[in-house]
Amino acid sequence: MSDGLKIVVLIKQVPDTSSAAGVNPDGTVDRVRARKMMNPFDQFALQKAIETRNAHGGEIIVVSMGPPPALAILHEACEYGADKGYLLSDRRLAASDTLATAFALFKTIEFIGNVDIVFTGLQTTDGDTAQVGPQIAERLDFPQVTYCEKMSIEGRTIRASRIIDGGIQRLEVDIPALITIANSASRLEHKRFYNVYRTRELLRDKQTLAKTVMTITLDNIGADPARVGLMGSPTVVGKTWKLGEKGGSCKMFQGDSAKHGVETLIESLSEDERGIEEYVL
Amino acid sequence: MSKYGDVAVIADQIQNDLRPVTFELLGAANDLAEKLGVKVLAIVMGHELGEIPQTLIYNGADKVYVVDQPELKEYSTLPYRRAAIAVLESLERPPHIVLCGATTLGRDLAPRIASYFETGLTADCTDLDIGDYVHKGKADPTKVGTYHNCLYSIRPSFGESLKARIIGPWKNPQMATARTGALVPFKTDTTRTGKIIRVTAKFEETDFRVRVIETAREVSDALDLLKAKVIVSGGFGLGGPEGFDLVRDLASIFGESAVGSSRKAVDSGWIPYSHQVGQTGKTVRPALYIALGISGAIQHRVGMSNSATIIAVNKDETAPIFQFAHYGIVGDLYEVAPLLKEHLKQSMSN
Repeated sequence: MSDGLKIVVLIKQVPDTSSAAGVNPDGTVDRVRARKMMNPFDQFALQKAIETRNAHGGEIIVVSMGPPPALAILHEACEYGADKGYLLSDRRLAASDTLATAFALFKTIEFIGNVDIVFTGLQTTDGDTAQVGPQIAERLDFPQVTYCEKMSIEGRTIRASRIIDGGIQRLEVDIPALITIANSASRLEHKRFYNVYRTRELLRDKQTLAKTVMTITLDNIGADPARVGLMGSPTVVGKTWKLGEKGGSCKMFQGDSAKHGVETLIESLSEDERGIEEYVL
Repeated sequence: MSKYGDVAVIADQIQNDLRPVTFELLGAANDLAEKLGVKVLAIVMGHELGEIPQTLIYNGADKVYVVDQPELKEYSTLPYRRAAIAVLESLERPPHIVLCGATTLGRDLAPRIASYFETGLTADCTDLDIGDYVHKGKADPTKVGTYHNCLYSIRPSFGESLKARIIGPWKNPQMATARTGALVPFKTDTTRTGKIIRVTAKFEETDFRVRVIETAREVSDALDLLKAKVIVSGGFGLGGPEGFDLVRDLASIFGESAVGSSRKAVDSGWIPYSHQVGQTGKTVRPALYIALGISGAIQHRVGMSNSATIIAVNKDETAPIFQFAHYGIVGDLYEVAPLLKEHLKQSMSN
């Protein structure tokens, strides 16, 4: 293809649970107050997209679904080298489960049109399902490679290796395809000065920005509101509860010296009734 | 005849090796089926499957649907998808529940099947149950009502120290994937009998848009983690990748041991993902779990809290891991771990 590849990368804004801000004393996350970041898994997908575009030409379109502040991660992706972005933002998307989310993103990819490769992260850190990628592939009728570690492209064929339980599978896949990138793939490189500069200029020029990183709604992509949000979701969260704390049952060894701690621990282990002596003592 | 469809399990099989999660899913499926008064079905796809269908009966399946065709020799998404759909559509009555492993196979296949049937799928469950559900929400009047004998798909809600019960009675089958090590396996009974039903899938050319060049399985660390009797794990407290030398060193004194890791150490690039224990890694339940420099966030906890004995070493006495470890040493792990090795080695040789 002379024009190179049309690459979509799906990214999501998630709470940054590594920062103390927005984490309640009981360990729950205050989603409103928490600092936000690009889902760490998506960074591997963005890196693979950048490598692919740099090697074969074409453009990278980053796509996210979320509230308006999620524009920040699209701008950030541009700083890393993405060419364009779409934020699908619509109140009617609230409470979407994975099936409904996949439907909305599928409609967005269809709206973009003629996409060659869709890259996603393995999963998100706030949902942790890893389902949305394959669910989108099903709707697009794309073949998929999940847990992809390495890949190269020759013509319209992707050669990829994916992690399987207890090994590696090497595959060939026809383009178009959806690829989810494992977090053992190459890490996101530093932002290049040129891309940071270009994005900064872009953010100043509202007119060009509006054509480069766009916010769209269900109406733009022609998605039936009944198929997203709560109505389009076959699952709901029925109940949540805190994990029971076993607190207090831990025997602590904390003394002046590590040596003393270890020695008393070993003594206790010999009286342990959980049956570890077979392996340890 | 019960009011409900049966409980189906999609066998997790790579190169005619039934993965442990299959037996765990069959164990859970039997509990669920008993509550519903229905049967347990197993669906197995592959080629030259030999004794595998019979093994599934011994391990809790009442009926085994077998798709045994050369196109299914190696796992590939689209042919397996086609075969699974062929079985599910061949049933007179759709199953009430379909379960898959939350493995690299199940997490690849289950979302495609769920999307095809436009039904709900809950990922990475740690527990499954049956119960009633009352929906009162106003946002979607079509969901309002009281539902009986729903699948309760229970999973940790990452980063929020919570467990969530996911419900989806509006569409059948209700689907879930479950993590290896989370459910209790069915107790093998070679006197069990059951029916084996053969189904033929009709493939289309488009099913072969992915071609498997090679499936290379090695005795990998990932495999070791699930089978190990002793796991020594390292976390961010190691301070750097070289810290894993200490972890490996301690692990080396045990017979069936493996090296584990927290997510943060993996995310920092200190050790490959295959070593990760936790919600987004492996669920393990060894006889002994030694955690070095791991704080014990929910993410890690859900993957290892079922270990028989947990020893934690951390310099921070307020680290959450001390809330559920059995033994804790507060101190510098670089000082403690070598001592621990020396003393454990000594007591083992006595």
